[in-house]
Amino acid sequence: MIHTTFSILSGGLVAGAVYALLAMGLVLIYKATRIPNFAYGGMASFLAFFHYNLVTGRRVSLNLDLLYLHIHGGVTVHLSFWAALPVTLAAAALLGWFIERLIIRPFAKASMVTLIIVTLGLNLLLTAVAEQVFGTKDLVVSNAHAIFSRSPVLSLGGVNFTYERLGVVAIVVVLSAGVWAFFRFTATGLAIRAVATDRDVASLLGVSVRQLSVVSWVTGSMVAAVAGVALASIVISSNPGLLFVLSIKGFAAAIVGGMVSFPIAVAAGFGIGIGEELVRQTIVQHDTKLYTGAPEVLTLGAVIVVLALRPRWIFKGIRDDEDTGITGRGGGSELFLVRWIDPVEAYRLLRAAIPTTSPGLRRTTRGIRIGVVAGLALFAVTFPFLPLPAFWTLPANLTLIYLLVVLSFVVLVGWLGQISVAQGAFLAVGGAGVAVCANTLHLPFPLPILGGVLLSIPVSILIGLPALRLRGLHLVVATLAFGLAAERALLPRFSEGGVRVVLPTYMRSDRALYYFFLAVTVVAFVLAGRMKATRVGRSFFAIRDSETVASAYGIRPVRVKLTGFVVSGAIASLAGSMLTYQLGALNAGYGSVAFSIEWLAYSVVAGITSIAGPIIGALFFGLYPELAKSTVSASNISHIQEIFAAVLLIVIMAVNPEGLASMSRFVRSRASAHEDDDGASDAEDLAAIEAAATAERHLEELPLEADADGDIDAEEAALSGAPS
Amino acid sequence: MTGRPIISIAGVRLSFGGVAALDGVDLEVPEGQIVGIIGPNGAGKTTLFDCISGFRRPDSGSITLHGSPQGDVELTSRAPYERTALGIGRTFQNARLFKSMPIRDILRAVQHDRMKRSGFFRSVLGLGGSVLDEQEVTDRADEVLELVGLSAHGDKPAMELSTGMLRLCELAAVVAVRPRLLLLDEPSSGIAQKETEALGPLLRRLAEYLNATLLMIEHDMPLIMGISDTMIAMAGGRVITVGPPAEVREHPEVLTSYLGAKATA
Ligand SMILES: Nc1ncnc2c1ncn2[C@@H]1O[C@H](COP(=O)(O)OP(=O)(O)OP(=O)(O)O)[C@@H](O)[C@H]1O
Ligand SMILES: [Mg+2]
Repeated sequence: MIHTTFSILSGGLVAGAVYALLAMGLVLIYKATRIPNFAYGGMASFLAFFHYNLVTGRRVSLNLDLLYLHIHGGVTVHLSFWAALPVTLAAAALLGWFIERLIIRPFAKASMVTLIIVTLGLNLLLTAVAEQVFGTKDLVVSNAHAIFSRSPVLSLGGVNFTYERLGVVAIVVVLSAGVWAFFRFTATGLAIRAVATDRDVASLLGVSVRQLSVVSWVTGSMVAAVAGVALASIVISSNPGLLFVLSIKGFAAAIVGGMVSFPIAVAAGFGIGIGEELVRQTIVQHDTKLYTGAPEVLTLGAVIVVLALRPRWIFKGIRDDEDTGITGRGGGSELFLVRWIDPVEAYRLLRAAIPTTSPGLRRTTRGIRIGVVAGLALFAVTFPFLPLPAFWTLPANLTLIYLLVVLSFVVLVGWLGQISVAQGAFLAVGGAGVAVCANTLHLPFPLPILGGVLLSIPVSILIGLPALRLRGLHLVVATLAFGLAAERALLPRFSEGGVRVVLPTYMRSDRALYYFFLAVTVVAFVLAGRMKATRVGRSFFAIRDSETVASAYGIRPVRVKLTGFVVSGAIASLAGSMLTYQLGALNAGYGSVAFSIEWLAYSVVAGITSIAGPIIGALFFGLYPELAKSTVSASNISHIQEIFAAVLLIVIMAVNPEGLASMSRFVRSRASAHEDDDGASDAEDLAAIEAAATAERHLEELPLEADADGDIDAEEAALSGAPS
Repeated sequence: MTGRPIISIAGVRLSFGGVAALDGVDLEVPEGQIVGIIGPNGAGKTTLFDCISGFRRPDSGSITLHGSPQGDVELTSRAPYERTALGIGRTFQNARLFKSMPIRDILRAVQHDRMKRSGFFRSVLGLGGSVLDEQEVTDRADEVLELVGLSAHGDKPAMELSTGMLRLCELAAVVAVRPRLLLLDEPSSGIAQKETEALGPLLRRLAEYLNATLLMIEHDMPLIMGISDTMIAMAGGRVITVGPPAEVREHPEVLTSYLGAKATA
């Protein structure tokens, strides 16, 4: 009994210390900038890699193999642990400054959903850069390089406490006290508190919000360095994915503190750590297999429940995001490139060069579009008969599946304006449905696919429920919790035992399966297109743009949101069902949260609001890498593509949140917005009102009072005499 | 006050923290009239609209809608979309619409609730009358577009419109829902003076087209004096006086609170 207590305390305190540290950094940044930093795990991980590379003296290499461009280089630096620490902290400060300056600042006025997507993209970027530069996914810290000695310092109830564990807890306690004092007693700390309470008032009082943003990102990044270094040492073997998951628990703790309270966030961090350890040691040890993922499911589930109950203190400090959709003008105006290139000016020049309004040009662009679509369709249909190498079939089928994955994001994020990073879980749900229908219920071939889709409906509703009460940041954390629960608890159950599904003999030929998938995909796209153009689609857009206005016009947010979640989940699990047949078994890699975030990023880059987006996304980020994988040996895979996609994501969010697929529309709207600035708007207003006044003439069935008529005449006279 | 009331508001109170935004409002709005509400900034006018349309719930008091399809209905426990279905339409002080949608789509989207034959599957598959529904909704959208004179701009997204056009679009949207009681929150705010003068006749015509009661908040005195049948003056969360426009304007309390507040603003 005593043994258990101490053992829970030992493990729980250490895990809790790490969560508390992460929560602290998150709160620091959120408080000053109102940015939910989903890249925090990536930052911590990157800095930990950096640090232990210095400590172990491993070579840091820069290898670029892009088509004909080959750059190879590297450096080796070797320092002792404590000599490396200041270097790491300096690097952290630089990283924080760099991120704030180049990535965060352009989004000063962006919506919460945009900020979430951008920081998720940044996480992707840091992860990929770390893998590219440090050449490995996993960071292993040997005994010689641990932060403190791993030998036991004292033993309580038969449980050994090592220097390392106690040291890390001590660091967190000291750091928390330091941060607390910083906010209590320093001018900067007080200024950040003022900003957190009321930005407008704070800036009236002469507080520079800009400067505080820099300060908080730099300090936040240094806290991330400490957290990363300590954590990597404690868990011995870590990777960016693990740190991302841990940072989500940090988020959970921070949210319990309303994203602004340090003491509550730190306490909640310790609470989560101890709670998880409690679950692990009391439940999981009874039956490891049955209770896989139980600690995560329980803590994150608790967070969802807390969020759904909406206690006042949590929502006190949160900015009230009414319109969270990602469309519209993102943070464009403050893009860092503006210094050198004025996009508005560039578009104007572009517009002067290309007569966008000419009917001839419009015909040509439409001609090109039809040509491209027809070409793609022709290729898709004839492809199996083309003289291509046999390895093309797998990438081709996977491309069709990716098309559906992106479509599911388009429906949910682009059309409905909700954000979810649990889409990967639906691939798993689809796969699980197929496995159950085919192997347990013994249903004949196409039916298990339907089963997978049907199974997704209750799951969608479950995931959609938090969305009825939560927005933005809280919604992401809730869906992350679901995604992680599925990843930790559902996937191992289906993939480890090797649940296999078998295609009927008539489907085993590559061509038959390809055409079947093609047909299913085309039907899904046609129906999605129909939905977009009719009542259901319009209600999605209305909810995306403003729930308040939508309900003022009789649209029910609850019903519409659940419909959207169900449709999007059904599409994703359709993809999952197909994937399971394609691969012959459920593959854990496709069900992870990391997969969801990656594909969310790709979807945004390709065009999250357009039906053409999935095509671009699946071709660039699905087909191309799959082909590369089949041709290049696995050891040589470079992360340049991910890096490229992540950078593109951030730039696109800054320039045009609607993505590549709607660039042409964007150019046009920018051009016309510019005209408005020139004062054309007033003239247009007048013309419109005038038209309204004269339109009356044509509606003769309306009884008009004489005096009203007289008013209009006088009005018209005044208007026509007005200079325009 | 003459005529049957379309809505009765009795003893409505609502406070934010310590501030009483509505401090016991009693009001009956006569059916079929154009009723103007004036009052200084912070008088509680918008908050009153929020209570009627369901975006805020009064701390106490009752709001009853008369003569709806369901008879007399007590509104305070109903969601905003239910009130819309009962025939209450409103616009927002800051001209809010679905910013990324083209105008014509907005005007179709707002008729969402009228498309009784277009459930999810029927509308996606184009079956069972949903095509007819779409047609009707599109026709009505074109009709109201013409009514406010925006036919030429139907394909523009709302965010590309100027404030004046956005106001017109918002009017078109609320008219497309066919409410019996139309609440307009400062329809002239944000648009130029010249355009404001053309607004009066348009509003009058929209009310006639709908055969609706029009309750509007407005700061532009010539506009509201010109079209109101009855005027309500509010200040400090209370109704000061109700009556014909000329009388209300000369009411001593209105002169002091309203014009006084204006002068200091
Ligand atoms: N969300 C809110 N939180 C706190 N106080 C509020 C809120 N909304 C309104 N108030 C307060 O309630 C009072 C009434 O506000 P309301 O917006 O109804 O005024 P109004 O008559 O519409 O003024 P205006 O002419 O400026 O639109 C004001 O004192 C305002 O500060
Ligand atoms: Mg108001």
